[in-house]
Amino acid sequence: MTAPRIDAKVVMLGKESVGKTSLVERFVHHRFLVGPYQNTIGAAFVARSLQVGDKVVTMGIWDTAGSERYEAMSRMYYRGAKAAIVCFDLTDSSSFLRVKFWVKELQNCEEHCKIYLCGTKNDLVEADRSQRQVDFHDVQDFADEIKAQLFETSSKTGCNVDKLFQKVAEDVSNTDFQLITEEAGVDLGQKKNAYFYSCCHH
Amino acid sequence: MSQKSERRGIHVDQSELLCKKGCGYYGNAAWQGLCSKCWREEYQRARQKQIQEDWALAEKLQREEEAAYASIQGAQSQPSLTPFSKFEEKKTNEKTRKVTTVKKFFSPSSRTAPKKESHEGKAPSPSITRQSSIETDRVSRDFVDFLKNLQKPGREIHKQCRAFIENMANKKDLGADELSECVQDFYQNMSDRLMTHFKGSTERVERVMDQVEKYIMTRLYKNVFCPETTDDEKKDLATQHRIRALHWVTIQMLCVPVDEEIPEVSDNVVKAITDVIEMDSKRVPRDKLACITRCSKHIFNAIKITKNEPASADDFLPTLIYIVLKANPPRLQSNIQYITRFCNPSRLMTGEDGYYFTNLCCAVAFIEKLDAQSLNLSAEDFERYMSGQASPRKQEPEVWPQEDAGAGRSPGLTQVYQSLDLLTGLGARQDRVLEGARSLESDLISWQESVEREVQEILEKYPLEIRTPASAIDSDNVENDRLPPPLQPQVFAG
Repeated sequence: MTAPRIDAKVVMLGKESVGKTSLVERFVHHRFLVGPYQNTIGAAFVARSLQVGDKVVTMGIWDTAGSERYEAMSRMYYRGAKAAIVCFDLTDSSSFLRVKFWVKELQNCEEHCKIYLCGTKNDLVEADRSQRQVDFHDVQDFADEIKAQLFETSSKTGCNVDKLFQKVAEDVSNTDFQLITEEAGVDLGQKKNAYFYSCCHH
Repeated sequence: MSQKSERRGIHVDQSELLCKKGCGYYGNAAWQGLCSKCWREEYQRARQKQIQEDWALAEKLQREEEAAYASIQGAQSQPSLTPFSKFEEKKTNEKTRKVTTVKKFFSPSSRTAPKKESHEGKAPSPSITRQSSIETDRVSRDFVDFLKNLQKPGREIHKQCRAFIENMANKKDLGADELSECVQDFYQNMSDRLMTHFKGSTERVERVMDQVEKYIMTRLYKNVFCPETTDDEKKDLATQHRIRALHWVTIQMLCVPVDEEIPEVSDNVVKAITDVIEMDSKRVPRDKLACITRCSKHIFNAIKITKNEPASADDFLPTLIYIVLKANPPRLQSNIQYITRFCNPSRLMTGEDGYYFTNLCCAVAFIEKLDAQSLNLSAEDFERYMSGQASPRKQEPEVWPQEDAGAGRSPGLTQVYQSLDLLTGLGARQDRVLEGARSLESDLISWQESVEREVQEILEKYPLEIRTPASAIDSDNVENDRLPPPLQPQVFAG
């Protein structure tokens, strides 16, 4: 008998050039490509399995286009997602404003999708405090308000990257009361159950 | 270059596109030149006949297989048939079942005999749609062969699928959503059962489900693709018109990170276009998805070569939109609807295929909603381009210099001008070629005329005189009998 497998869709949201793809690239390939302006690197879809307890969580990570012109379409991407990692650039305050847009969208359209806030480019802030444009406490307050987990990561050093995805995988496997929930994503009735169940847990 | 390839395509006369029955709707080559409605009416009977034939054939196969199984199991005094649904019973019988399995390897009667007959049984069935029936036959044969490896449950799966298809044939009047629900329920039930049977081995279940999907959807395709009960066809036409009206959209407007000047890149672009067009020709949702995935891979290649680094979603989506605009894939909405309704849902929700499919849906939604703002154009320009009053190419020399005053020329713009120059040059050369072709044509015509004239002249100069045929020289000799006998050769001895 093989280990129970859980397939989970994880969607990456965030403004262009905040480093969504770098984050994924770091997590999947353990590498960071250096360049003058790294808009995004790595492929748009990657899958990686993580062992959580006796289960194997296979995360299909969906990168999304961050440009505002595709905003109207973004809900197509997070339909049925188990988790959303909403990224912002710690050195760019406008990117955090956009985070609020996605969080609102997610709360409206995909209420059972767990939200993770992720401040990227932590290494730049570490190196030079004055670079920080997004106040940690503001973000923490916002995260508490929306009941989201907050991570500050650096794809360059790898800081917190594995921790973030490990946490996502753990949460997915814990809320997944059914071993095989691949079909659950489209079944509204089942989703309600999942929600009900997670309520009882927390 | 990029502008040139926009014009790629075959132009056919409007009348050739219409339904051959003359009902006024558009026909389709896949429907042998008929429109969907006429096609359905025309081939309903043929299809019904084929379904019945297949059914009869399957029953025959099943009888043979059952007979084969019974012969072994009879020897072991086991029940001859364990229904697939009764897994509990099966588990208790596991021990004996294993014995059966092992024994089967050595017994020639169970596995080889039915297989051989299945090929004989699949003699070509007469049908109007030869090609599709060949495909259907092939798929059925593959399916039966695949299920043979699963042995007993395989037979039960086959039976279930047959019954389901038969059942669906009687449900033609249902709406598309109900049909979709039926199919999805069937998938769900089947995979639940398989899950129990394979004891949670997701890979094996998926493998079987892929085959089930292929088999079922090949059969159902004609009934459920773009059904009459929906307005899919209307939407197809609307999207097609919309994309045609947007022919003027350039790479620069969409911020597509692809440089078609590089031969390798334009090669990938062409392949991507071919793949997304090819989607329409596939019948199984999974095969259609595979086309989208192939198309996406080509797009990634094109971006990778242009940018020298792997592409992200920020690069990919605009490029996909551009490819869809250039390809104007046939029956795009029908295909998307068909995949959404009849694909195994797990594939659409997770997995790579699902990701690319979502991107395609997104691209189509973008194209539908596209406005001046999404192309960074002014509302007036957008209106003018849409109405065909102006084309961005002709406008640029007048519009851009004013805006250039402050900003200076962007490299993109320089490239546009280069491309324009190139185009003008190409246009001139094409004119020359056309001129040459025309003069060649007139030369050919005059040459033909001159030859004809010459022949005529010669004919007039030397009219053909038909002389009376010369008869045997001595035919009118009356006094033959008075002639002396012909000389005989004489032998001289000496």
